[in-house]
Amino acid sequence: MLALCVFTITVTAQDAPSEPRPVPVLSGSAGEVPIVGGGQTTLVSIISPVVLVPFGGKWLVESRAAFEGDFTDQEPGSHFGGKINKEVEYLQLDYIANKYTTVTAGRFLNPFGIYSERLYPVWIRNLQTDPLILPLEGESRDGVMFRGSVPLSSAVNLNYTTFFSLQSSTNKLESDRGIGGRLGLFFPGHRLEIGGTVEHALVEDRSNRFGFHFEQQPFSIPLEVRAEYAHAAEGSGWWIEPGYTLSGVRWLKAITRKTQLVGRYQQFYIGNGQNEDLPAADTRMAEFGMNYFICEGLRATASYGREFSSAGNQNVWTAGLTYRWVLPLGRGGRP
Amino acid sequence: MKRCCIYLLVLCAFPVALLCSSPDPKPAPVLKSKSTHTEWSVAEGEQRYRANCARCHQAPPKFQPAAMGTLIRHMRVRSMITDDDMHAILKYMTQ
Repeated sequence: MLALCVFTITVTAQDAPSEPRPVPVLSGSAGEVPIVGGGQTTLVSIISPVVLVPFGGKWLVESRAAFEGDFTDQEPGSHFGGKINKEVEYLQLDYIANKYTTVTAGRFLNPFGIYSERLYPVWIRNLQTDPLILPLEGESRDGVMFRGSVPLSSAVNLNYTTFFSLQSSTNKLESDRGIGGRLGLFFPGHRLEIGGTVEHALVEDRSNRFGFHFEQQPFSIPLEVRAEYAHAAEGSGWWIEPGYTLSGVRWLKAITRKTQLVGRYQQFYIGNGQNEDLPAADTRMAEFGMNYFICEGLRATASYGREFSSAGNQNVWTAGLTYRWVLPLGRGGRP
Repeated sequence: MKRCCIYLLVLCAFPVALLCSSPDPKPAPVLKSKSTHTEWSVAEGEQRYRANCARCHQAPPKFQPAAMGTLIRHMRVRSMITDDDMHAILKYMTQ
């Protein structure tokens, strides 16, 4: 069966002879976003380089690392200090097997919902604080993944992801053994996507986790709405995040067309499991923010949120800058 | 638990079935696929860019064509765009 698959992959993969020959690209993002929560100031500095190395017509090696420093003043008036966390978020080899399937091997982002895979980088996310349920979406995994998108009709595409991951305790490459997958339906005419994820751990308590996601950006108004629900042994919760770009405002157009207003409301309910990255009690949080796109790749961002929890309420403020770059490492050209 | 296992089984079977099926030599008309990658119009590519990429990205500058060839391959994997979308968007972004 495996030999048959490999043979079929080799035979059916397609070339695009008229398209430009791709070159390696060094991309990435950086962010400096101080966060003030519960009277504690944390200077969050993130640099996240992405390396993309294509070869042939069907292969791509891609990797993203993250260097994040969360610097706090342990005593009032003292210098900010803290350690820099270094992590390989993904280091994967992709093979475009055919029109509908890409095979990925290596270390990849856990394909749970939409936030961790698509929205996590500082230059993409609308609010710089993480959703409360983000730890439920799991860490990166080492293994094999099949994924792709299939047009079911001119109005709807089916996208799917399924994986098997291995246990690893290697430093910076930790992974849990498990299987799982995600299915989604995307309606391009409405820019609407709905989907669900289910995962099963093959270690320890052999627990399940599942979730649902929703995303829409109607063409008629500059509005985007995203939402996720996640359930695991450690807890469950949801978030909904509308964003509105002021491009429809007629006055001060030079400014308003670059300005986006964002909100997010979320709830988290504790479960039975242990996870120190999750809130210690049931929590609700409302946030409002604004993003201003200064120029290509550079964005100013600010937000205010109020967290309600039986462990104590607190305000959370953020303000900072994010930057994204793309640097081709070669001239390429057309064949 | 049983439902979960069935769901995972279906998910695992799906890509294997796709891998073992040849792409249609003549794509179904309803999909609006093109038999060669050179036939995509820039307008069609722009439409597909708006439907897919603009969901997360503000309109970016058009990068060097060779860089776009790499980035679109990256986005095919990351954002689950279809093969047709990938070629049409590449045409739009490199013109």
